[in-house]
Amino acid sequence: MAQDAPGAVGARLSPKLDEASLIRAVQRGDQDAFEQLVRAYDQSVLRLALNLLRSQEDARDVFQEAFLRVFRSIDSFRFDCSFHTWLYRIVTNICLDYLRKRKVRKEEPAVVDTPEGPLDRMNDFEEEAAHADPERSLWNVQLGQRIEGALGGLTPRERMVFELRHYQGLRLRNIGEILGTSEEAAKNCLFRATQKMRTVLGDLQ
Amino acid sequence: MNCESVTKLIPLYFYGELPPEEEDSLEQHLDTCAACARQAESQRALSAALDRREVQPSAALLAECRHDLMRTVYRHEAMVGQAGSLRPIGNRPFLVSWLPALGAWRMPLGASALLALGFITARLTAPGAAGPFSFASLTPENVISSVRSVQPAQDASRPGEVQIVLDETRRRVISGQLNDGNIQRLILAAAHDENNPGVRWESVDLLKSHSDSSPVRELLLNRVAEDPNPGVRLKALDGLKAYTGDPEVRKVLAQVLVHDDNPGVRIAAVDALTAHAGEDMVGFLQGVVEKEDNTYVRRRCVKALEDMNASVGTF
Repeated sequence: MAQDAPGAVGARLSPKLDEASLIRAVQRGDQDAFEQLVRAYDQSVLRLALNLLRSQEDARDVFQEAFLRVFRSIDSFRFDCSFHTWLYRIVTNICLDYLRKRKVRKEEPAVVDTPEGPLDRMNDFEEEAAHADPERSLWNVQLGQRIEGALGGLTPRERMVFELRHYQGLRLRNIGEILGTSEEAAKNCLFRATQKMRTVLGDLQ
Repeated sequence: MNCESVTKLIPLYFYGELPPEEEDSLEQHLDTCAACARQAESQRALSAALDRREVQPSAALLAECRHDLMRTVYRHEAMVGQAGSLRPIGNRPFLVSWLPALGAWRMPLGASALLALGFITARLTAPGAAGPFSFASLTPENVISSVRSVQPAQDASRPGEVQIVLDETRRRVISGQLNDGNIQRLILAAAHDENNPGVRWESVDLLKSHSDSSPVRELLLNRVAEDPNPGVRLKALDGLKAYTGDPEVRKVLAQVLVHDDNPGVRIAAVDALTAHAGEDMVGFLQGVVEKEDNTYVRRRCVKALEDMNASVGTF
Protein backbone atom coordinates (compact mmCIF):
# COMPACT_ATOMS: atom_id res chain seq x y z
CA MET A 1 0.00 0.00 0.00
CA ALA A 2 1.33 3.42 -0.83
CA GLN A 3 2.32 5.67 2.04
CA ASP A 4 2.77 8.89 0.16
CA ALA A 5 1.40 11.18 2.85
CA PRO A 6 1.89 14.93 2.59
CA GLY A 7 4.83 14.83 4.93
CA ALA A 8 6.60 12.33 2.75
CA VAL A 9 5.99 14.43 -0.33
CA GLY A 10 7.18 17.55 1.37
CA ALA A 11 10.33 15.75 2.41
CA ARG A 12 11.41 15.69 -1.22
CA LEU A 13 11.69 19.45 -1.23
CA SER A 14 15.13 20.91 -1.00
CA PRO A 15 16.14 21.60 2.58
CA LYS A 16 17.19 25.06 1.42
CA LEU A 17 13.61 26.35 1.48
CA ASP A 18 10.65 25.24 3.53
CA GLU A 19 7.43 24.93 1.61
CA ALA A 20 5.91 28.23 2.72
CA SER A 21 9.05 30.13 1.70
CA LEU A 22 9.05 28.27 -1.57
CA ILE A 23 5.43 29.20 -2.30
CA ARG A 24 6.10 32.84 -1.43
CA ALA A 25 9.08 32.76 -3.74
CA VAL A 26 6.83 31.38 -6.49
CA GLN A 27 4.29 34.11 -5.84
CA ARG A 28 7.08 36.64 -6.27
CA GLY A 29 7.80 35.07 -9.65
CA ASP A 30 10.76 32.85 -8.81
CA GLN A 31 10.77 30.30 -11.61
CA ASP A 32 13.23 28.01 -9.88
CA ALA A 33 10.97 27.82 -6.85
CA PHE A 34 8.02 26.96 -9.07
CA GLU A 35 9.95 24.22 -10.76
CA GLN A 36 11.04 22.87 -7.39
CA LEU A 37 7.49 22.99 -6.10
CA VAL A 38 6.11 21.12 -9.10
CA ARG A 39 8.82 18.51 -8.95
CA ALA A 40 8.12 17.86 -5.29
CA TYR A 41 4.57 16.79 -6.13
CA ASP A 42 4.37 15.83 -9.76
CA GLN A 43 5.19 12.18 -9.32
CA SER A 44 2.44 11.60 -6.77
CA VAL A 45 -0.03 13.60 -8.88
CA LEU A 46 0.76 11.51 -11.93
CA ARG A 47 0.50 8.30 -9.92
CA LEU A 48 -2.90 9.32 -8.61
CA ALA A 49 -4.21 10.16 -12.08
CA LEU A 50 -2.73 7.03 -13.63
CA ASN A 51 -4.19 4.68 -11.03
CA LEU A 52 -7.56 6.38 -11.00
CA LEU A 53 -8.05 6.70 -14.70
CA ARG A 54 -6.01 3.72 -15.89
CA SER A 55 -5.18 5.60 -19.04
CA GLN A 56 -1.85 7.12 -19.92
CA GLU A 57 -3.43 9.76 -22.13
CA ASP A 58 -5.92 10.87 -19.51
CA ALA A 59 -3.25 10.90 -16.79
CA ARG A 60 -1.07 13.13 -18.94
CA ASP A 61 -3.99 15.48 -19.55
CA VAL A 62 -4.77 15.65 -15.84
CA PHE A 63 -1.12 16.33 -15.04
CA GLN A 64 -0.98 19.12 -17.57
CA GLU A 65 -4.27 20.69 -16.61
CA ALA A 66 -3.61 20.52 -12.86
CA PHE A 67 -0.19 22.14 -12.94
CA LEU A 68 -1.30 24.76 -15.43
CA ARG A 69 -4.08 25.69 -13.02
CA VAL A 70 -1.49 25.93 -10.27
CA PHE A 71 0.66 28.04 -12.56
CA ARG A 72 -2.18 30.41 -13.30
CA SER A 73 -3.63 30.72 -9.82
CA ILE A 74 -0.77 30.42 -7.34
CA ASP A 75 -1.22 34.11 -6.59
CA SER A 76 -4.60 33.27 -5.07
CA PHE A 77 -3.13 30.72 -2.64
CA ARG A 78 -3.51 32.31 0.79
CA PHE A 79 -2.11 29.60 3.10
CA ASP A 80 -5.59 28.81 4.46
CA CYS A 81 -4.67 25.16 4.05
CA SER A 82 -1.53 23.25 3.14
CA PHE A 83 -0.29 23.51 -0.42
CA HIS A 84 -0.70 19.73 -0.68
CA THR A 85 -4.41 20.05 0.12
CA TRP A 86 -4.83 22.96 -2.29
CA LEU A 87 -3.06 21.12 -5.08
CA TYR A 88 -5.00 17.92 -4.45
CA ARG A 89 -8.28 19.80 -4.53
CA ILE A 90 -7.36 20.87 -8.05
CA VAL A 91 -6.20 17.40 -9.07
CA THR A 92 -9.13 15.52 -7.56
CA ASN A 93 -11.66 17.91 -9.11
CA ILE A 94 -10.17 17.30 -12.54
CA CYS A 95 -10.04 13.55 -11.99
CA LEU A 96 -13.63 13.45 -10.70
CA ASP A 97 -14.74 15.24 -13.88
CA TYR A 98 -13.02 12.56 -15.94
CA LEU A 99 -14.59 9.76 -13.90
CA ARG A 100 -18.05 11.30 -14.16
CA LYS A 101 -17.72 11.73 -17.91
CA ARG A 102 -16.71 8.10 -18.15
CA LYS A 103 -19.72 7.02 -16.17
CA VAL A 104 -21.89 8.84 -18.68
CA ARG A 105 -19.99 7.62 -21.73
CA LYS A 106 -19.40 4.10 -20.38
CA GLU A 107 -15.86 4.20 -21.65
CA GLU A 108 -13.86 1.15 -22.47
CA PRO A 109 -12.51 -0.63 -19.42
CA ALA A 110 -8.82 -0.93 -18.58
CA VAL A 111 -8.97 -4.66 -19.23
CA VAL A 112 -10.28 -5.57 -22.66
CA ASP A 113 -11.00 -8.87 -24.33
CA THR A 114 -8.78 -9.77 -27.24
CA PRO A 115 -8.57 -12.91 -29.41
CA GLU A 116 -5.58 -13.90 -27.26
CA GLY A 117 -7.52 -13.43 -24.02
CA PRO A 118 -8.02 -10.55 -21.60
CA LEU A 119 -5.48 -7.78 -21.94
CA ASP A 120 -4.70 -5.04 -19.43
CA ARG A 121 -4.22 -1.88 -21.48
CA MET A 122 -1.99 -0.49 -18.75
CA ASN A 123 0.63 -3.03 -19.75
CA ASP A 124 1.01 -1.31 -23.10
CA PHE A 125 2.71 1.67 -21.60
CA GLU A 126 4.00 0.82 -18.18
CA GLU A 127 7.71 1.13 -18.55
CA GLU A 128 8.61 -1.88 -16.56
CA ALA A 129 5.39 -3.56 -15.62
CA ALA A 130 4.75 -5.84 -18.54
CA HIS A 131 8.31 -6.89 -19.01
CA ALA A 132 9.91 -6.32 -15.65
CA ASP A 133 7.34 -8.18 -13.64
CA PRO A 134 5.73 -10.85 -15.78
CA GLU A 135 4.10 -12.46 -12.77
CA ARG A 136 2.19 -9.28 -12.27
CA SER A 137 1.08 -9.36 -15.89
CA LEU A 138 -0.18 -12.87 -15.39
CA TRP A 139 -2.02 -11.79 -12.28
CA ASN A 140 -3.55 -8.94 -14.25
CA VAL A 141 -4.79 -11.34 -16.86
CA GLN A 142 -6.41 -13.56 -14.27
CA LEU A 143 -7.94 -10.99 -11.98
CA GLY A 144 -7.79 -7.68 -13.76
CA GLN A 145 -11.27 -7.83 -15.18
CA ARG A 146 -12.86 -8.60 -11.83
CA ILE A 147 -10.89 -5.90 -10.05
CA GLU A 148 -11.69 -3.32 -12.69
CA GLY A 149 -15.31 -4.39 -12.63
CA ALA A 150 -15.42 -3.94 -8.86
CA LEU A 151 -13.78 -0.53 -9.02
CA GLY A 152 -16.04 0.42 -11.91
CA GLY A 153 -19.03 -0.27 -9.66
CA LEU A 154 -18.01 2.51 -7.29
CA THR A 155 -19.30 6.03 -7.64
CA PRO A 156 -16.62 8.55 -8.69
CA ARG A 157 -16.53 9.91 -5.15
CA GLU A 158 -16.19 6.47 -3.55
CA ARG A 159 -13.52 5.67 -6.06
CA MET A 160 -11.64 8.85 -5.19
CA VAL A 161 -11.83 8.33 -1.42
CA PHE A 162 -10.65 4.77 -1.81
CA GLU A 163 -7.78 5.78 -4.09
CA LEU A 164 -6.60 8.54 -1.77
CA ARG A 165 -6.77 6.31 1.31
CA HIS A 166 -5.53 3.02 -0.10
CA TYR A 167 -2.95 4.05 -2.69
CA GLN A 168 -1.98 7.56 -1.66
CA GLY A 169 -1.98 6.79 2.06
CA LEU A 170 -3.81 9.99 3.04
CA ARG A 171 -5.71 10.21 6.31
CA LEU A 172 -9.49 10.38 6.07
CA ARG A 173 -9.52 13.80 7.74
CA ASN A 174 -7.19 15.11 5.04
CA ILE A 175 -9.27 13.41 2.34
CA GLY A 176 -12.38 15.13 3.68
CA GLU A 177 -10.57 18.44 3.57
CA ILE A 178 -9.45 17.86 -0.02
CA LEU A 179 -12.90 16.82 -1.19
CA GLY A 180 -14.67 19.58 0.72
CA THR A 181 -16.51 17.23 3.04
CA SER A 182 -16.30 15.96 6.61
CA GLU A 183 -14.10 13.19 7.96
CA GLU A 184 -17.28 11.30 8.83
CA ALA A 185 -18.53 11.51 5.25
CA ALA A 186 -15.15 10.29 4.00
CA LYS A 187 -15.37 7.34 6.45
CA ASN A 188 -18.82 6.41 5.17
CA CYS A 189 -17.58 6.67 1.60
CA LEU A 190 -14.65 4.37 2.34
CA PHE A 191 -16.93 1.88 4.05
CA ARG A 192 -19.32 1.80 1.10
CA ALA A 193 -16.43 1.42 -1.32
CA THR A 194 -14.87 -1.51 0.53
CA GLN A 195 -18.22 -3.19 1.07
CA LYS A 196 -19.03 -3.01 -2.63
CA MET A 197 -15.64 -4.40 -3.57
CA ARG A 198 -15.78 -7.17 -1.03
CA THR A 199 -19.17 -8.16 -2.37
CA VAL A 200 -17.75 -8.48 -5.88
CA LEU A 201 -14.32 -9.82 -4.94
CA GLY A 202 -15.18 -11.51 -1.67
CA ASP A 203 -13.60 -14.84 -2.53
CA LEU A 204 -10.12 -13.41 -3.01
CA GLN A 205 -7.69 -15.13 -0.70
CA MET B 1 -19.19 -4.03 20.49
CA ASN B 2 -21.50 -6.20 18.37
CA CYS B 3 -21.04 -7.82 14.95
CA GLU B 4 -22.96 -5.10 13.14
CA SER B 5 -20.77 -2.30 14.44
CA VAL B 6 -17.61 -4.35 13.86
CA THR B 7 -18.55 -4.86 10.21
CA LYS B 8 -18.67 -1.13 9.75
CA LEU B 9 -15.40 -0.57 11.57
CA ILE B 10 -13.28 -3.23 9.87
CA PRO B 11 -12.18 -1.01 6.94
CA LEU B 12 -11.32 1.81 9.33
CA TYR B 13 -9.45 -0.64 11.57
CA PHE B 14 -7.56 -1.94 8.57
CA TYR B 15 -6.52 1.56 7.53
CA GLY B 16 -5.52 2.57 11.06
CA GLU B 17 -8.30 5.14 11.36
CA LEU B 18 -9.75 3.96 14.68
CA PRO B 19 -8.97 5.57 18.03
CA PRO B 20 -6.89 3.23 20.26
CA GLU B 21 -9.70 2.29 22.64
CA GLU B 22 -12.05 1.40 19.78
CA GLU B 23 -9.27 -0.58 18.14
CA ASP B 24 -8.76 -2.58 21.35
CA SER B 25 -12.46 -3.39 21.61
CA LEU B 26 -12.59 -4.47 17.99
CA GLU B 27 -9.56 -6.72 18.38
CA GLN B 28 -11.12 -8.35 21.43
CA HIS B 29 -14.26 -9.00 19.41
CA LEU B 30 -12.28 -10.47 16.51
CA ASP B 31 -10.55 -12.86 18.93
CA THR B 32 -13.86 -14.32 19.96
CA CYS B 33 -16.00 -14.04 16.79
CA ALA B 34 -15.05 -16.28 13.87
CA ALA B 35 -17.51 -14.62 11.47
CA CYS B 36 -16.06 -11.15 12.02
CA ALA B 37 -12.51 -12.53 11.91
CA ARG B 38 -13.35 -13.91 8.45
CA GLN B 39 -14.54 -10.48 7.41
CA ALA B 40 -11.27 -8.97 8.58
CA GLU B 41 -9.40 -11.59 6.59
CA SER B 42 -11.55 -10.80 3.56
CA GLN B 43 -10.61 -7.14 3.93
CA ARG B 44 -6.92 -8.07 4.09
CA ALA B 45 -7.20 -10.26 0.97
CA LEU B 46 -8.99 -7.48 -0.89
CA SER B 47 -6.30 -5.04 0.07
CA ALA B 48 -3.51 -7.39 -1.01
CA ALA B 49 -5.19 -7.93 -4.38
CA LEU B 50 -5.62 -4.21 -4.91
CA ASP B 51 -2.04 -3.50 -3.87
CA ARG B 52 -0.83 -5.57 -6.78
CA ARG B 53 -2.91 -3.52 -9.16
CA GLU B 54 -1.08 -0.30 -8.33
CA VAL B 55 0.83 1.28 -11.19
CA GLN B 56 3.86 3.47 -10.70
CA PRO B 57 4.38 6.06 -13.43
CA SER B 58 7.53 5.36 -15.35
CA ALA B 59 10.43 7.80 -15.45
CA ALA B 60 9.77 8.15 -19.16
CA LEU B 61 6.12 9.06 -18.70
CA LEU B 62 7.00 11.56 -15.99
CA ALA B 63 9.64 13.11 -18.23
CA GLU B 64 7.12 13.38 -21.08
CA CYS B 65 4.56 15.01 -18.81
CA ARG B 66 7.15 17.52 -17.61
CA HIS B 67 8.08 18.21 -21.21
CA ASP B 68 4.47 18.76 -22.24
CA LEU B 69 3.88 21.06 -19.31
CA MET B 70 7.06 22.96 -20.01
CA ARG B 71 6.18 23.43 -23.65
CA THR B 72 2.78 24.82 -22.76
CA VAL B 73 4.21 27.14 -20.11
CA TYR B 74 6.94 28.23 -22.47
CA ARG B 75 4.50 28.94 -25.28
CA HIS B 76 2.34 30.81 -22.83
CA GLU B 77 5.36 32.81 -21.77
CA ALA B 78 6.22 33.62 -25.36
CA MET B 79 2.70 34.94 -25.88
CA VAL B 80 2.85 36.86 -22.64
CA GLY B 81 6.13 38.36 -23.72
CA GLN B 82 4.63 39.43 -27.02
CA ALA B 83 1.55 40.86 -25.42
CA GLY B 84 3.73 42.64 -22.92
CA SER B 85 0.98 43.16 -20.44
CA LEU B 86 -0.14 39.82 -19.09
CA ARG B 87 1.52 38.47 -16.03
CA PRO B 88 1.25 34.73 -15.38
CA ILE B 89 2.61 34.67 -11.86
CA GLY B 90 4.35 37.20 -9.74
CA ASN B 91 5.92 40.09 -11.59
CA ARG B 92 8.58 38.29 -13.50
CA PRO B 93 8.06 36.08 -16.53
CA PHE B 94 9.03 32.47 -16.57
CA LEU B 95 12.13 31.83 -18.50
CA VAL B 96 13.74 29.13 -20.49
CA SER B 97 14.85 27.44 -17.28
CA TRP B 98 11.63 25.49 -17.53
CA LEU B 99 13.20 23.26 -20.12
CA PRO B 100 13.71 20.09 -18.11
CA ALA B 101 16.75 19.04 -20.06
CA LEU B 102 18.46 22.33 -19.42
CA GLY B 103 17.17 22.46 -15.89
CA ALA B 104 19.09 19.25 -15.36
CA TRP B 105 22.31 21.07 -16.14
CA ARG B 106 21.93 22.94 -12.91
CA MET B 107 21.92 19.74 -10.96
CA PRO B 108 25.22 18.26 -9.86
CA LEU B 109 26.27 16.35 -12.90
CA GLY B 110 28.44 13.31 -13.16
CA ALA B 111 32.02 14.38 -13.64
CA SER B 112 32.34 13.09 -17.17
CA ALA B 113 29.07 14.61 -18.32
CA LEU B 114 29.98 17.92 -16.71
CA LEU B 115 33.35 18.01 -18.37
CA ALA B 116 31.86 17.08 -21.70
CA LEU B 117 29.11 19.66 -21.44
CA GLY B 118 31.54 22.31 -20.31
CA PHE B 119 33.87 21.61 -23.15
CA ILE B 120 31.20 21.52 -25.78
CA THR B 121 29.30 24.55 -24.59
CA ALA B 122 32.56 26.48 -24.38
CA ARG B 123 33.18 25.64 -27.99
CA LEU B 124 29.65 26.43 -28.98
CA THR B 125 29.61 29.72 -27.21
CA ALA B 126 33.10 30.91 -28.07
CA PRO B 127 33.22 34.26 -29.87
CA GLY B 128 32.85 33.71 -33.54
CA ALA B 129 31.41 30.24 -33.13
CA ALA B 130 28.90 29.67 -35.85
CA GLY B 131 26.76 26.84 -36.96
CA PRO B 132 23.22 25.82 -37.76
CA PHE B 133 22.12 26.34 -34.18
CA SER B 134 21.04 29.35 -32.21
CA PHE B 135 20.89 30.56 -28.65
CA ALA B 136 17.95 32.06 -26.90
CA SER B 137 18.65 35.56 -25.80
CA LEU B 138 20.29 35.97 -22.42
CA THR B 139 18.71 38.10 -19.81
CA PRO B 140 19.97 38.67 -16.27
CA GLU B 141 17.40 36.18 -15.00
CA ASN B 142 19.14 33.43 -16.91
CA VAL B 143 21.99 33.57 -14.45
CA ILE B 144 21.71 31.66 -11.20
CA SER B 145 23.93 33.07 -8.47
CA SER B 146 25.02 31.77 -5.13
CA VAL B 147 27.22 33.64 -2.69
CA ARG B 148 30.56 31.93 -2.13
CA SER B 149 32.07 34.40 0.35
CA VAL B 150 31.53 37.79 1.90
CA GLN B 151 34.41 39.73 3.42
CA PRO B 152 35.65 43.29 4.00
CA ALA B 153 37.36 44.71 0.94
CA GLN B 154 41.16 44.57 1.01
CA ASP B 155 41.55 48.21 0.05
CA ALA B 156 42.14 50.09 3.35
CA SER B 157 41.52 53.40 1.63
CA ARG B 158 37.85 52.47 1.19
CA PRO B 159 36.57 51.67 4.69
CA GLY B 160 33.19 50.00 4.98
CA GLU B 161 33.41 48.45 1.55
CA VAL B 162 32.72 44.71 1.29
CA GLN B 163 33.65 42.16 -1.28
CA ILE B 164 31.13 39.49 -2.27
CA VAL B 165 32.19 36.52 -4.36
CA LEU B 166 29.37 35.00 -6.42
CA ASP B 167 29.30 31.70 -8.24
CA GLU B 168 27.16 32.03 -11.31
CA THR B 169 25.65 29.41 -13.54
CA ARG B 170 24.34 30.59 -16.84
CA ARG B 171 21.43 28.93 -18.59
CA ARG B 172 20.99 28.91 -22.33
CA VAL B 173 18.61 27.42 -24.82
CA ILE B 174 20.42 25.86 -27.70
CA SER B 175 18.49 24.62 -30.67
CA GLY B 176 19.62 22.97 -33.82
CA GLN B 177 19.34 19.94 -36.04
CA LEU B 178 19.97 16.55 -34.51
CA ASN B 179 22.38 15.73 -37.29
CA ASP B 180 24.52 18.73 -36.35
CA GLY B 181 27.70 17.39 -34.75
CA ASN B 182 27.73 19.89 -31.89
CA ILE B 183 24.11 19.29 -31.00
CA GLN B 184 24.65 15.57 -31.17
CA ARG B 185 27.66 15.77 -28.85
CA LEU B 186 25.61 17.73 -26.31
CA ILE B 187 22.91 15.09 -26.34
CA LEU B 188 25.51 12.33 -26.12
CA ALA B 189 26.84 14.00 -22.98
CA ALA B 190 23.32 14.40 -21.57
CA ALA B 191 22.74 10.69 -22.13
CA HIS B 192 25.34 10.09 -19.43
CA ASP B 193 23.80 12.41 -16.84
CA GLU B 194 23.85 10.01 -13.95
CA ASN B 195 21.51 12.12 -11.83
CA ASN B 196 18.64 12.31 -14.25
CA PRO B 197 17.23 9.14 -15.80
CA GLY B 198 14.53 11.21 -17.53
CA VAL B 199 17.14 13.21 -19.45
CA ARG B 200 19.06 10.04 -20.29
CA TRP B 201 15.87 8.43 -21.56
CA GLU B 202 14.98 11.47 -23.65
CA SER B 203 18.51 11.70 -25.03
CA VAL B 204 18.61 8.05 -26.00
CA ASP B 205 15.14 8.33 -27.50
CA LEU B 206 16.26 11.25 -29.65
CA LEU B 207 19.51 9.65 -30.69
CA LYS B 208 18.24 6.18 -31.51
CA SER B 209 16.96 7.36 -34.88
CA HIS B 210 20.61 8.19 -35.70
CA SER B 211 22.07 4.82 -34.83
CA ASP B 212 23.83 4.77 -38.21
CA SER B 213 26.31 7.20 -36.64
CA SER B 214 29.15 5.37 -34.96
CA PRO B 215 29.27 7.49 -31.76
CA VAL B 216 25.52 7.08 -31.35
CA ARG B 217 25.76 3.31 -31.77
CA GLU B 218 28.56 3.21 -29.22
CA LEU B 219 26.41 5.20 -26.83
CA LEU B 220 23.46 2.85 -27.33
CA LEU B 221 25.70 -0.15 -26.66
CA ASN B 222 27.07 1.54 -23.57
CA ARG B 223 23.61 2.46 -22.26
CA VAL B 224 22.09 -0.95 -22.86
CA ALA B 225 24.92 -2.54 -20.93
CA GLU B 226 25.59 0.06 -18.25
CA ASP B 227 22.60 2.30 -17.59
CA PRO B 228 21.15 1.75 -14.11
CA ASN B 229 17.61 2.51 -15.33
CA PRO B 230 15.85 -0.36 -17.14
CA GLY B 231 13.70 2.09 -19.12
CA VAL B 232 16.83 3.67 -20.59
CA ARG B 233 18.34 0.24 -21.27
CA LEU B 234 15.16 -0.82 -23.09
CA LYS B 235 15.15 2.38 -25.12
CA ALA B 236 18.81 1.90 -26.08
CA LEU B 237 18.11 -1.68 -27.02
CA ASP B 238 15.26 -0.50 -29.19
CA GLY B 239 17.70 1.76 -31.03
CA LEU B 240 19.98 -1.18 -31.77
CA LYS B 241 17.32 -3.31 -33.44
CA ALA B 242 18.52 -2.42 -36.91
CA TYR B 243 21.99 -3.74 -36.03
CA THR B 244 21.20 -7.08 -34.46
CA GLY B 245 23.20 -8.74 -37.23
CA ASP B 246 26.33 -6.83 -36.20
CA PRO B 247 28.70 -9.13 -34.24
CA GLU B 248 29.65 -6.40 -31.76
CA VAL B 249 26.00 -5.61 -31.06
CA ARG B 250 25.17 -9.32 -30.73
CA LYS B 251 28.00 -9.76 -28.26
CA VAL B 252 26.64 -6.99 -26.02
CA LEU B 253 23.06 -8.28 -26.34
CA ALA B 254 24.18 -11.77 -25.37
CA GLN B 255 25.84 -10.33 -22.26
CA VAL B 256 22.65 -8.41 -21.49
CA LEU B 257 20.58 -11.59 -21.83
CA VAL B 258 22.82 -13.40 -19.39
CA HIS B 259 23.56 -10.66 -16.87
CA ASP B 260 20.82 -8.00 -16.87
CA ASP B 261 18.79 -8.16 -13.65
CA ASN B 262 15.60 -6.97 -15.34
CA PRO B 263 13.49 -9.68 -17.03
CA GLY B 264 11.92 -7.14 -19.37
CA VAL B 265 15.32 -6.14 -20.73
CA ARG B 266 16.31 -9.81 -21.02
CA ILE B 267 13.14 -10.54 -23.00
CA ALA B 268 13.90 -7.64 -25.34
CA ALA B 269 17.44 -8.99 -25.73
CA VAL B 270 16.13 -12.45 -26.67
CA ASP B 271 13.82 -10.93 -29.24
CA ALA B 272 16.60 -8.80 -30.72
CA LEU B 273 19.06 -11.68 -30.85
CA THR B 274 16.63 -14.14 -32.36
CA ALA B 275 15.64 -11.69 -35.07
CA HIS B 276 18.87 -12.85 -36.75
CA ALA B 277 18.94 -16.34 -35.35
CA GLY B 278 21.56 -18.67 -36.69
CA GLU B 279 23.00 -22.04 -35.78
CA ASP B 280 25.47 -20.32 -33.48
CA MET B 281 22.56 -19.23 -31.27
CA VAL B 282 21.36 -22.74 -30.46
CA GLY B 283 23.98 -23.65 -27.87
CA PHE B 284 23.84 -20.21 -26.33
CA LEU B 285 20.05 -20.24 -25.97
CA GLN B 286 20.10 -23.79 -24.59
CA GLY B 287 22.52 -22.53 -21.94
CA VAL B 288 20.22 -19.64 -21.11
CA VAL B 289 17.22 -21.99 -20.82
CA GLU B 290 19.17 -24.07 -18.33
CA LYS B 291 20.16 -21.18 -16.11
CA GLU B 292 17.36 -18.64 -16.52
CA ASP B 293 15.04 -18.55 -13.52
CA ASN B 294 12.36 -16.33 -15.02
CA THR B 295 9.55 -18.28 -16.64
CA TYR B 296 8.82 -15.72 -19.31
CA VAL B 297 12.39 -15.24 -20.44
CA ARG B 298 12.83 -19.00 -20.50
CA ARG B 299 9.67 -19.39 -22.61
CA ARG B 300 10.95 -16.85 -25.12
CA CYS B 301 14.22 -18.76 -25.44
CA VAL B 302 12.39 -22.08 -25.77
CA LYS B 303 10.16 -20.64 -28.47
CA ALA B 304 13.18 -19.26 -30.32
CA LEU B 305 14.81 -22.71 -30.18
CA GLU B 306 11.61 -24.37 -31.39
CA ASP B 307 11.39 -21.88 -34.25
CA MET B 308 14.90 -22.93 -35.21
CA ASN B 309 13.85 -26.60 -35.02
CA ALA B 310 16.45 -27.08 -32.29
CA SER B 311 16.06 -29.12 -29.16
CA VAL B 312 15.48 -27.21 -25.95
CA GLY B 313 17.94 -29.14 -23.82
CA THR B 314 21.48 -30.27 -24.38
CA PHE B 315 22.23 -33.96 -24.51
